[in-house]
Parts: sequence; C-alpha cells; structure tokens
Amino acid sequence: MIFDERLDVIVIGAGHAGCEAASAAARMGAQTGLITLNLDLIGQMSCNPAIGGIAKGHLVREIDALGGIMGRVIDRTGIQFRLLNRSRGPAVQSPRAQADRALYRIEMRQALEATPNLILRQGQVVDLLVKDNHICGVELQDGRRLGAAAVIIATGTFLNGLIHTGKRTYTAGRAGEPASLELPESLQRLGFPMGRLKTGTPPRLDGRTVDWSAFEEQPGDERPVAFSFATGRISQAQLSCYVGYTNERIHQTILANLNESPLYSGKIKGVGPRYCPSIEDKVVKFSDKDRHQLFLEPEGHDTNEVYLNGFSTSLPPGMQQDLVNMIPGLENAQVIRPGYAIEYDYVDPRELTPSLETRRVKGLFHAGQINGTTGYEEAGCQGLLAGINAALLVQNRGSFRLDRKEAYIGVLIDDLITSGVDEPYRMFTSRAEFRLALRHDNADQRLSERGKELGLLGEGDWERFNSRREQIAAIRDLLNSTRLKRTDPAYGEVSRTLGVDLGDSITLAALARRPKVGPELIGSLLPQDLRESCYGTALDSALADSLYAGYLKAQSLTLNRIYQHDGLRIPEGFAYTGLSGLSREMAERLERTRPRNFGQARRTPGLTANALSTLLVQLTAENAA
Amino acid sequence: MRLSGSRSLELAQRIVRDDQFFPKPGQVGLRYLRNPANGEILDQALVTYFRSPGSFTGEDQVEFSCHGSPAVVELLLEAMLKLDARLAAPGEFTLRALGNGRISLSQAEAIRDLIDAQTGAAVRQASRQLRGEISQRLQPVKERLLEIIVPLESSIEFVEDDLPATATEVLKRKLADLCFEIEKLADTFAAGRVLKEGLRVALVGTPNAGKSSLFNRLLSYERAIVTEIPGTTRDSLTEPVNIEGVPVWFTDTAGLRQGGDSIESIGIERTRRVAADADLVVLVIDGSRQPGVEDEKPLGETNRGLTVVAVNKCDLASFDENTKELRTRMPQAVSISAKTGHGIDVLKTAILSPFITAGWADDGLLITNARHHDLLRRTAVALQSSSELLTEGTSEELVIVGLYNALRLLGELTGETTPDDVLGQIFSTFCIGK
Repeated sequence: MIFDERLDVIVIGAGHAGCEAASAAARMGAQTGLITLNLDLIGQMSCNPAIGGIAKGHLVREIDALGGIMGRVIDRTGIQFRLLNRSRGPAVQSPRAQADRALYRIEMRQALEATPNLILRQGQVVDLLVKDNHICGVELQDGRRLGAAAVIIATGTFLNGLIHTGKRTYTAGRAGEPASLELPESLQRLGFPMGRLKTGTPPRLDGRTVDWSAFEEQPGDERPVAFSFATGRISQAQLSCYVGYTNERIHQTILANLNESPLYSGKIKGVGPRYCPSIEDKVVKFSDKDRHQLFLEPEGHDTNEVYLNGFSTSLPPGMQQDLVNMIPGLENAQVIRPGYAIEYDYVDPRELTPSLETRRVKGLFHAGQINGTTGYEEAGCQGLLAGINAALLVQNRGSFRLDRKEAYIGVLIDDLITSGVDEPYRMFTSRAEFRLALRHDNADQRLSERGKELGLLGEGDWERFNSRREQIAAIRDLLNSTRLKRTDPAYGEVSRTLGVDLGDSITLAALARRPKVGPELIGSLLPQDLRESCYGTALDSALADSLYAGYLKAQSLTLNRIYQHDGLRIPEGFAYTGLSGLSREMAERLERTRPRNFGQARRTPGLTANALSTLLVQLTAENAA
Repeated sequence: MRLSGSRSLELAQRIVRDDQFFPKPGQVGLRYLRNPANGEILDQALVTYFRSPGSFTGEDQVEFSCHGSPAVVELLLEAMLKLDARLAAPGEFTLRALGNGRISLSQAEAIRDLIDAQTGAAVRQASRQLRGEISQRLQPVKERLLEIIVPLESSIEFVEDDLPATATEVLKRKLADLCFEIEKLADTFAAGRVLKEGLRVALVGTPNAGKSSLFNRLLSYERAIVTEIPGTTRDSLTEPVNIEGVPVWFTDTAGLRQGGDSIESIGIERTRRVAADADLVVLVIDGSRQPGVEDEKPLGETNRGLTVVAVNKCDLASFDENTKELRTRMPQAVSISAKTGHGIDVLKTAILSPFITAGWADDGLLITNARHHDLLRRTAVALQSSSELLTEGTSEELVIVGLYNALRLLGELTGETTPDDVLGQIFSTFCIGK
C-alpha cells in the first residue's frame, strides 16, 4: 500500500483521550501523528468547563503520576480549585477545578506542539486500513493515506453524532462541528458490535445579563490543591461560582411541555447517564423535590460566557430561553448557546484487552467515549493507557496493565472490558474495592515508578518523587516514635479537646487515627526542629497511610477469604457454549466478555449464582484433572 | 440405584436385555433386571428414565428401585460395573447437579442435610432450605442494609449535590435493628443443629434411682436390664428417641457412688465422661426414700450447665412426704414415675425446651448449616464494627467498610451485590447530577 506519510502510531481525535494518547506515545519514542477535524479545537471541553471531582480527581492525579499531561494543563488554566470532601477521610477527598475553557485549549495545543516525535494533522478519517487482521493505517476524506502499525480511535461523541433540540435533529459531532459518518461504517464492516448512547449539555448564558446578587457565592479554596505532583503554585487569578435553584413554576412548565422534549417523545433511543440527568428527567423522576440546584460557572477570564450547570436540556431553544428567565436572578439572562442532547455510537468495550487493544484488529486501540465512558478524566486515562500500549506494541515491548488494586484506572478498564456498559460509564469511588488504598495524594507512590519505567516521567519529576517518598518514610518513623505524654504541656489541652483520656502516653500515629484529629494538630506536636521539614503534603500522606493501614490489612483478609477463587485461571479458548448446565444466555455473556479468571467472570453482569457455581465447579474440575 | 451420564439408557437396555427399551421420561415401569452375560434374572424392579436436562444431575439418568436385599443390590452393582459403569464418588451426583447448574451451592448443602437428616423435623428444615428460603429470607435484610449504605455512600460520592442529610441517630437505629435480626437468625443455629444432629442427654443419678427404668420408659421397650440390685448397670447404653421430631440420644449410665467393685468404678468413670459430653444431663432422684446430699452429688460431679432434675417413683404413696423439701427447693424438678409413665411427657418437654424456644425465629426458619451460621455471625460482627465507628463519628468511608463486608458475606447466601447495584439504588433514591 502506498502511503503519503508513514508513522508508528496514529491517534484519531484530539480530545482528552487523544491528546493524552498522542503525548504519551510520542514521548515514549514512537513517531506519532494526531489527526483532528479542527486544529483550533484541540483539548476542547465539550461540556462543563471543569476537571476533577470525587473519583475523577483521583483519575487525573493517577494520569499525572504516570507522566500524563492533563494535571499540568488544568493546573495552569484552572480558575477555581476546590478539594472536595474535606470533612471526610483522605481516601475520598478529591480535587476539582473550573477551567478557563479557551486557555485550556491553548495550553494543551502548546504542550503537544512542544512534544518531540509528534505531528499534528487536520483532516477527517473515513476508513481504517486493515490487512490480515492487522491495522496498517487510515484514509482521510481528502484522499491522503497515513500508515502506522498502531491506530488509536478517540473520537468522542463524533461517531454518527446526532443532536436533538426539541423536535429538530441534525448530524453533528458536537454543536457547530460535523459528525463522523464514514468511520463508524468502517468499524461496522470490521464486525465491531456497536450501540447508541446519549449525553446532554445545558445552555450557556451571557454573564452580563445575570443578576449575580440573587445567587449564593461559592468561592474556591484559599489554598488550592493542585492536580499535578509537579505543580508548585496555582498562578491563574481565581474566580467564584454561584449557586441557585429552580422553582415549581419551572417544573410545571417543563411537565406541561414534555411532548416537546425528544427524551420523552421517544425520539432519543440512546441511553443517557443516570447521574447526569437532564432537567426534564429531574423534574419527572423526582417530582417530590420542589427545587433543583444550579451552578453558574464562569467559562474563563476573557469571556462573559457562563455555564448553567444542572440545567442540561434538549427542549426547543425558545423554550430554554423562557425557562431560564424563570430562574430567580436570570429574569433578563440571554442564552447565547442553547443546550442540546446528542446521541452517538460506541463500540462494546468487551471487545478490548486490558491494554485497550481490540481483539478483532491487532494494533487498533479504542479510548474514551467510543468505549462507552463519559467524562474528560475517564477519557484522559484511557488515552494515556492506549498511547502507552500503542508505543509498546510498535516497539515490541510487553503491554502495560494496571490492576484494580493499584489504580482507579485499573478499576475503570477492568469494569469496561468485563462488564461492558449499558449507560455512559463514570468513575465513582465506590467502584473500587480498595478505595481506602487508592487515594489522590498517594497516586505518585502507587504509580510513578511505573511511569518512570515506561519513560514517561522526566528527570525532574523522578527526583521530586524520590524526595517526597523519603520524606513520607521519615515522617512515618517520626509519628511512630514520637509520643505525647501526660507530662507534656500540650497533653491537657489535646485530651480536653477530644474529650477522652489518652493514657499516660500515646504515639502521634495512634493519636492521628482518632476521629477529629487533623494534620494541623499532629504537626504542632512534632518536635520543633523537625516541624519545618515535615511540610504539607508529605505529612498528609504519611498520616493517611497510618490512618488506613489497619483497615486495609483487615479488608484484604476478608476479601481474600470471600474471593478466594478469583485467581482461578480460565484457559484462553474455554468453550462456554455447550458447557453442560450453562444456559445459552449465560454462555453468550461469558463468550462476549471472555474473562481471564474467575474473578472477572464473577463480575460479569447478569450472571446468575447458578451459572457461576457451574463455572466454578467446571474450572475446579479442570484444574484438578 | 442410580445411573447417570450420556450412556445411562444404553446400559439400562442391556440390563433389561431389551434394546428396544425406550421408556417415556419420568414414567415408572416394572421390569426384570438380568445378568447381561447369561440372562439370569437378578431382580424385578421399578425402572425410571430421566432425560437430560430434566433429571437431578442434569444428565441422562436411569433409576432402579429394587428389592432391599444387600445381596441383590450387590449382584446388580457387579453387573453394572461389568457394563462399564463406575461407582459414583460420595456426593458426585450432587456435584454434577451443581456443575450442570441444576442446583445452587446452598441447595447442594441442603441436599446433604436432607440425606443426613435423622427425623421429620430436620427433613422439613432441609427441604425448606432446598427451596431457597434462606436466600429469600435474607433478601429483605440485604435491602435494608443497602438502605443504610445508600445515604452514606451518596454523601461521599455526591458531596456537591443538594442531598438531604441523614441523621446519624437514624442510621444507628437502623443498623442496630438489622444487627439484632441477623443475630436472631444466627442464633437459631443452636436449635437448627439440634434438629440436624440431635441432642445428647445423659441420665445420671445414684444407683437404683431408676435410671434404667426411665431409659426403658423413654424408649418404650425393655432395652436396659432392670433389677432391684443397686449397680446393675455397668456400661453406658445409648439409644435415640424421637421427641417432637428431634432425635434425642439418651444414655443410661452407671450410678454414681463410692466403693463397689472395679468394674463398677470403670462404669462410673465412663458416666462422668458421658455426662461431660452431653448437651443436657437428667439427674434422676429416688423418691422412694428421703433424698439426701448423696442424691444431688452426681449433679455436682457432672454439672456443665443444662440440667433437668427428675424425681422418680411418684407412684409410691410415700413420695409426696419423702420429696416435699426437695421439690420446694427445686420447683423446676419434674415428678415422674418410670413405672407408670406419669410425668414423662413433662420431662420430655423440659429436656427439649432450652434448645427449641430460645432460638426459634419468628417464621420458624432455622439455620442448620455451619457455613451459613458462620457467615451470619461474621455479618453481625461486621455491622457491629460499623456501628461503633458511626458512634465515634468516624468518617463515612471507614464506617462503610464493615457495611460492604456485611454485604459481601450476605452475598454468599443471596447472590452478589455489585457496586453498580448500590449506585443504581442511589440514583433511584436521590436526584443526583449537576
């Protein structure tokens, strides 16, 4: 085949998955081409201008710990940082930031342009070039052919994208951009099982027409917590968000006009995310609530545009304007971009291996919404993994996988390839069995060595990581060896504040495990001369390690006992069909997932307890034979 | 006798010596069973054919109901083995049924209990579990546990959403109720175990108090030799009696006294051991004379908790006078006459009651399986630990650890609850999402 250009790795799509993928593959030494429909919209946030949140923030920190770029870019472009769940334990705290949408795009493009081995190309991929079940390149709409041994599809909502507002529908990848109609045909020809999902976005307002005094101000944290372990200081000027509410009048109007909503008229077939419902859904499904919370989020420093979070809708634009004006404080607000719902194709992620390569076509990787996920962070981490594995593949190195026990990324990929999706998949901390071990603050301790081995972590990052690791170890020793004694001047007050007698002496580590004891208190009890060196995050991490250590040990005992069969290996070509006693439906589910061990089989959705015990007995019998 | 496997019918055809033998599945037919080698008739038996998957094991299966003589069974077995059948390993049919998805693990366990069951009551319990009652019974328990998890989990995951706060006190009360219920169910294991394995009861007392007479009375036949000579019973005798469906193993022991010959003292030593192993001891006191310290002494020597005092020979005229002081001091003592049978029913009830009434759940479902008991106990412990953390004001992610452990443990009895099930519950309870 004759190619206009030859590369090692091609990434289709320059959204959050594509950028991460291209950056990682190139930095690992693979000649990488990133193809996008519009070079001006690299790293575009299609929906809310924010990164992070519970569990999602964990993902970004894991991306950063492995040497990805999302954390650094948001740290440089974030205009409001908040650490969520501050009142709870460190394992469920997570950073979140509002982004300056335009700045984020610019910063991301600059980061990619500064990356060696990476070229950017504008164009639309219309066909995948496959030979003997191996990918060999892509063809663009303008006829150009680009060759590569690995191709990553990261096309977001663009595959057969169909926008709905009211009764009108039109094809689009997102508002104002064309959909990709030929690439899904190419996937279909290759035999990939595909489905439809749906997502939505709220209207954007002209900030000059908002009566801000009617809303409650929600400022960011005074001391912002950054996403990247490399970030020293947040430099952007910080802005506030504002909280408001819908009212009964709005609800009644929506209910009276449901026939205008494509969600309720039956026009939309795709399944939307339950945790990101449209305002129509909220009003219908939770009719007992007399108000729903809304957030006014600034889009950036150099724009008046405001994102009306919580008001996702696909009602006709005219009606959106009327409804917005019923919100107290938005009586005169002008909608400058209407909200809409969008349906798009996804490919069943059970087609994938843990390295995100498709089993059907060697060298073809899928990352992001094409796998049925939602969220920039979910997309970014898949992009990173796909980029890493594409580079490893062309370099003939073994694949890179993450386990459920070591990272949220591992949980996400295992969930996807084992369970598939029936709605857009979002990360939650409760999806991780080892939630207490997977903290945002210890992402580097868990993953940075892996990032270094891959060649993604720079020298400076590696040094910083090592010094932090040493600090944490030193503080851990200090906490175990320093005791607060009854004779110490501070004892009386600490004991009084906590309302308990602490015995004649207590180690700081044990004291820290008590409820209501924060790092500030522990820090103040450390020996004066050492207090200085135990700065911020290392102390926090050491304390968190100590807080959870006992639980993690007990939990791993319990889980090992309950899931003792999880490690039981299932042979590669294990024939489920025809396995006596396994119904066809159960066999089909297992055939589609092809679990590699009993643990994955156990997590396959829809399997009955009987089917599992049948499989277990069969595997036990085969192993015994 | 049961044949299971794809060649079952073929083997059956050869044993009935009729290659046109294609019985209707599930239908019973009377056939002569012959030695395939020479056609000699071995037995006449009821033959039932079950076609896969409609059989117990899920495979093709033929069952022969033959005459009980061990010799006949052995001949048949030999003939079958010659035809290339093989003996099933213990529990193999159940394992195959499990493997073929015909039954679940708890059902398999219930079948084992059914086979082991000694009495009607135990059979009833086993068959209830076979129908999946444990799982059904625990389903609402699991749902209530989810109701506690949901607000805690949502407060972690959806801190930015406008969710109603759930008071810690409410959660604590719900948790306590749940814990109580699970413990109550777990506690039925004592009674459940009694049903399954039976109760061991030792009859002790001074020589000639009438232990052997009582033993015979309980058995309704003359099992033990009864004479006027004290110390007649030298060795312990054990026999089962069915009391209200519970198998009770009574042991008649040698009377406890000092002196006597060496054989008798060996018997006495044995009595002490029997009494120590028993679930309950019945102290038999001779009511034909004024009881002395001597009579209550065996109690001191064997006492390990549960005791019933039976004052014997209440048919005698002097009984009331003789035992007045004793019966005032021990109002629970049961007056009986081994000779006439008077008071025996009262005694039986007294023996059974500490085991039955204490641990009977409202709906009469009993835990008879040690694995189930263990799982419920662990569940209760896990819930307890969460409850303590909740009281201390510990952060939700730690409180919830025990709740998830409880959910996983219950999952072994009811089927797994995935994180997605929990999330689903959250989304249907609260309006989530910016």
